[in-house]
Amino acid sequence: MAIDMTSTTKKRNPWIKRILLSGLVLLIAGAVAVWFVFNEKFTDTSERKASFTVHAIDLIHEFQKSDSLANKKYAEQIITVNGIVSALEPADTTINVKMVDTATDAYIIFAFQQQHLAEAKQLKEGDSVSIKGSCSGGTYSQILETEFISFKRCAINK
Amino acid sequence: MKKSFLLIALVGLTTLSFAQKKKTTTSATVSFDASTKLDALPKADNKTTVASLNTKTGEVAFEAIVKSFSFANPKMQEHFNSAGWMDSDKFPSATFKGKITNLADVKFNADGTYSATVAGDLTLHGVTKPVTTTATIVVSGKTVTTTSTFSIKVADYGVNGAAIGAGKVSTDPTITVSAEFK
Repeated sequence: MAIDMTSTTKKRNPWIKRILLSGLVLLIAGAVAVWFVFNEKFTDTSERKASFTVHAIDLIHEFQKSDSLANKKYAEQIITVNGIVSALEPADTTINVKMVDTATDAYIIFAFQQQHLAEAKQLKEGDSVSIKGSCSGGTYSQILETEFISFKRCAINK
Repeated sequence: MKKSFLLIALVGLTTLSFAQKKKTTTSATVSFDASTKLDALPKADNKTTVASLNTKTGEVAFEAIVKSFSFANPKMQEHFNSAGWMDSDKFPSATFKGKITNLADVKFNADGTYSATVAGDLTLHGVTKPVTTTATIVVSGKTVTTTSTFSIKVADYGVNGAAIGAGKVSTDPTITVSAEFK
């Protein structure tokens, strides 16, 4: 009798083992995928391909014309902006670069990726520069009464 | 006629005087830390915030583009801006408008470090709530540096992502605001 029971158990074991192993493999794969997604860092912007290349004043004018349309087109896109440095502003421990349309005071402001801060600090007012970054969009500032467009994780486009 | 001219000139000068007391910056920083014991990732900063400070009236204002908050992790940033969280397509800006309530204690014309109480309205995710906080104001020549740290309850602003319930995002993140006015 005891021999029969052992024999029945032996027959079930391979399937249970296979199911358990499959479950374990799926669990590990899922955990690895989640770990990868939530430990992923933004890639260096200098290595990203830009979706658009624009001149600063043209971009400002496009946002001034319709910031809702411009936001749909440019927000969260990697864009290369060519223009003249109007100002360098300290921002906490970092530095921002501004390109201003002197006719309207509307401006684009670029916050740099940590690894590209040193390049930004080398810039001077009046420099002609090409900057690549992630466009955060633009809005009309009630404080400044002008349009502004913000970029994050920027790099000098070489 | 002469009196009217003098009155107009006086009003003009007073307006100009008030206008000159309004300092602005386009590089104020707003950062938040919503990390918990389960997740250290929910933290970000926005270094392109517009801010103003009127040293005459004590009025303070901040404007931040929500999509300008920069995270270390792409998925976290995507979640933050999604419809279930900040819904930044629908509510693209976060603003604060307030006033220093103990303005007499802050000497903007004398170098020093001052403690100020700021009360105003914070608008986030389309919801406006009153906020009162303390700020440290450092006056050095013509430069005024302000820093303030406070907490908000995200549920008060209609932000109720599933990760909050799961304990992965703090229910009351710490927000730090700093600005240098020249």
